[in-house]
Amino acid sequence: MGSTCTSWLAAFSRALFAGGRRLGPLARRGTLVGIAASLAVATAISSRSASPRFYPDDPLWTDNDRLEDVKAVPIDDTNGYDFVVNTFSEPGERRDVRALNVNTVDEVPDSSWFTNRIGRNSMSVADIVKGPDRVERVSLTGWKVSGGKTTGVQPGFRMTDPQGQIYQIEVDPPSNPELASGAEIIGTAFYHAMGYNVVDVYLAEVDRDALVIAEGATIRDPLNGRRRSMKKFDLDNVFNRAARLPNGHYRVLASRFATGTPLGNFRYYGRRPDDPNDLVAHEHRRELRGARVFGAWLNHDDSRGINSLDMLETTNRRTWIKHYMFDFGSILGSGTIFSQRHRSGNEYIFEQKPGWLTMATLGLYVRPWATIDYPDVPRSVGRLEYERFDAVKWKPEYPNPAFENMRPDDAFWAARIVSKFSDEAIRGIVAKAAYSDRAATDFVTKAIIERRNKVVAAWINQVCPVDSATLSADGTLSFTNAAVDAKAATAPERYELAWFRFDNATDQRTPVGGAMTVSSGSARAPEGLLAGDFVGVSVTARHPQQPGWATPSTFFFRRASGNWTLVGVERGK
Amino acid sequence: MPRCKLQSMVRHVVVWWAVALLAPGVAWSQEPATREEADRQRREEQAKEVKPFEPTGLKKAMDFVENRAIFLLDREGFHPKLGSLTTGSGFAYGLGFRDRDLFSNKGALEIWAAGSIKRYWATEARLTFPRLANNHLHLEAWGSHRDYPQENFFGLGPDSNRDDRSDYAIKTNHFGGRAGVRPFARYLLVGGGMEYLQPTLGAGQNDSFPDVPEVFPPSEVPGVNSRSDFVRSDAFLEVDYREPLYARKGGWYRVDFSHYDDRTTDQFTFNRLDADVRQFFGFLAGRRVIATRLFVSTSDTEAGQTMPFFFMPTLGGNDTLRGFREYRFRAPHAILAQVEYRWEIWSAFDGALFYDAGKVANERGDLNFKDLEKDYGIGFRFNTDNGVVFRVDAAFGSSDGKHLYIVVGGVF
Repeated sequence: MGSTCTSWLAAFSRALFAGGRRLGPLARRGTLVGIAASLAVATAISSRSASPRFYPDDPLWTDNDRLEDVKAVPIDDTNGYDFVVNTFSEPGERRDVRALNVNTVDEVPDSSWFTNRIGRNSMSVADIVKGPDRVERVSLTGWKVSGGKTTGVQPGFRMTDPQGQIYQIEVDPPSNPELASGAEIIGTAFYHAMGYNVVDVYLAEVDRDALVIAEGATIRDPLNGRRRSMKKFDLDNVFNRAARLPNGHYRVLASRFATGTPLGNFRYYGRRPDDPNDLVAHEHRRELRGARVFGAWLNHDDSRGINSLDMLETTNRRTWIKHYMFDFGSILGSGTIFSQRHRSGNEYIFEQKPGWLTMATLGLYVRPWATIDYPDVPRSVGRLEYERFDAVKWKPEYPNPAFENMRPDDAFWAARIVSKFSDEAIRGIVAKAAYSDRAATDFVTKAIIERRNKVVAAWINQVCPVDSATLSADGTLSFTNAAVDAKAATAPERYELAWFRFDNATDQRTPVGGAMTVSSGSARAPEGLLAGDFVGVSVTARHPQQPGWATPSTFFFRRASGNWTLVGVERGK
Repeated sequence: MPRCKLQSMVRHVVVWWAVALLAPGVAWSQEPATREEADRQRREEQAKEVKPFEPTGLKKAMDFVENRAIFLLDREGFHPKLGSLTTGSGFAYGLGFRDRDLFSNKGALEIWAAGSIKRYWATEARLTFPRLANNHLHLEAWGSHRDYPQENFFGLGPDSNRDDRSDYAIKTNHFGGRAGVRPFARYLLVGGGMEYLQPTLGAGQNDSFPDVPEVFPPSEVPGVNSRSDFVRSDAFLEVDYREPLYARKGGWYRVDFSHYDDRTTDQFTFNRLDADVRQFFGFLAGRRVIATRLFVSTSDTEAGQTMPFFFMPTLGGNDTLRGFREYRFRAPHAILAQVEYRWEIWSAFDGALFYDAGKVANERGDLNFKDLEKDYGIGFRFNTDNGVVFRVDAAFGSSDGKHLYIVVGGVF
């Protein structure tokens, strides 16, 4: 098609100038003047023909990123590579730009990465607690050990149920019973409700003596990396490093293998070069930027590429990649096989300034986190606290490009999701972890609630938190305040509104009326505003404790069938 | 470039521009009408640029290091043997073979041979059963040959002279076995063993220094002109509750009583008792550690017997008195106190200020804290939770001058 068009234009060009040569100088000059005039007109037309700000189908709530057929190979980054690249270089693009995958109302559409759940829809506590689980519980009766575990530090192996579905089985460390399995159960439920793709995980009990190794089960020998038949002692190696229950059995975590073909991990920067559906550089994806807020809340310091999973799925004979978050065994107070380290969440593994300071002062410089007095809690909790927790200063194990790019609007989006988790929902999720010690359940619940409050207060107030704006046919604007609703702030002294008429073709705003001040979430549009097809209003709020509220949130409405529909939202710059 | 050709190019460009702009029909037909269509067009464009994933050089290198090279050191079968053979041997390298899943993963066999840059040699075969009887019983057996060609000797006793440095060579065959029992707690190990030793002395290979007999009369160096085989029987008790092994807190204590029976000349039978107490005090989240060590070694002989000089405890070198040369002090009795202040600079990288004090004694009664040799210094360590991988220690303040050690492995 392209080549046909090119040939046509070339022929036209030759014909035009061939004709010009046959004319006299005056006529040629006239031709050139005509072309110039035409170009001027065309330029004017062209500016009108640029993409409109809002298309008729905006806002889109589904990003159809399964359109193009994918032929991809696995990208399996190693721990060391991920650490080195993210610590000693700056992969991806560090730019203060609005997330590139949000729709026009500043929300994340459903995609192969993310599905709006608690952020957009109301979820019952039961649904939140259920998470991705397909069944209420699993019993390992009749299952067979089908292979070794290939990744991660947590000891485990694979089992296959009678239907042929594979599960990964993992145990808790003897020093901290219930630690990693509890964290995984809790993290999976939270991240699922937030909207991420996660695999379903279940708690189960294993009688070591009843385990049967399937014929043909293999394991990659941990000593030399070679694949070989799985032996009884391979299971001994796992259970020697496992916490045992009083009845002699073992509590295990069973993670259902995701559907499709594994394609390794995704990265928090760049795009997959072999995925035509992957249009947006990952460091500019809202749900990956905002994951910093979720990571801070739940102390998911392992938020990094190697703890993600890409699966090649087939739907309607078309292959596409589904992106998973997984491995939550190291969230909250868990370091998977030990209590979380003191540094966790407070400093990168390698951070120049505090390191040089510590070296130069022979250790007299003390990192602030080294003085945190962690509460005395059951060992199943690990090392977790909420009093010194600082949501803004929280850090994962090493720099994450998407986290580095997080802007106030990304943070607002995520904080608003966090605020949707009620105390009851949190209590329900923690109860799902089935800690045997009630004190553990109580403390983890309390810690998550307190950390939620801090996270929401820190991140929801960095822009004007006006939300859910509607404009009625008669010009009444109504809105809510997400921060006030989340009890993360008191009501402001006043809201300041600046109305404008909007030209969708030229992206021009024409102010209408002067600044308007209201004290609540309701206002009348100024006279004469509603004549056009598009109108808008910028809202700021004045609050002595919330300077971020002076950063405007702007709402665009489109007239449709006599009513006004919210079609655009801008937060911040 | 010919003028007519340039004109032609300009014309083509102008016409392209004009047509693109003046042909609204063409332009409008490509303009998406909806967001969905716009996104679809972008994906179609992207599909044209799809290319296979190409790992970078760094990724390939890291993949190799993490998936293969690390396995090399800890792999089953043949593997490189790297490190040090003994204090002062210098860096050693060689080849090993191991099989850690003998007898249904109950036993492990390790065979290796290595040589150092200072021409030290050693080879060893060791069979270990570390987890018998539900982890309560530990058994091991070994045979080895060690060839240390240039061991320092400065004379016996606390007053030995630095200028009297001489050297000797010692080759030793070892054959032995040991059993350890963890009776009720994981941190307690008691046991004992027997070992057959065949030490053979020779002239030192370092031409910069004289041989021992050239500096010291044989009467002052027991065993220097003799050749004996020994049976060593020992009993030990060990308590280990360090957390983690490269300790941030906890302690490690060991008492070892050995009886050396001279099976050849019946002149050198003796007893030796070693006590080593290491205590670790962590603070500031374990990122600062005060590590302390007290080591005492004493011996006794029956009437008519003497202790050969090469079995006497020594002080000096990278893991005892770091301000002194290897084996600078040697005598039947020794005491050593060490303290380190360790501070974490980055994860897996510590700094350390240290102070060592100790002495050797010809008489047990002189084992006290008077007239100790001392040094102090600073060091940096790359470590894991299981121990120091590599360290650099610089020691000062001794009567022996400054010393810099670059060592694979830790101190205590």
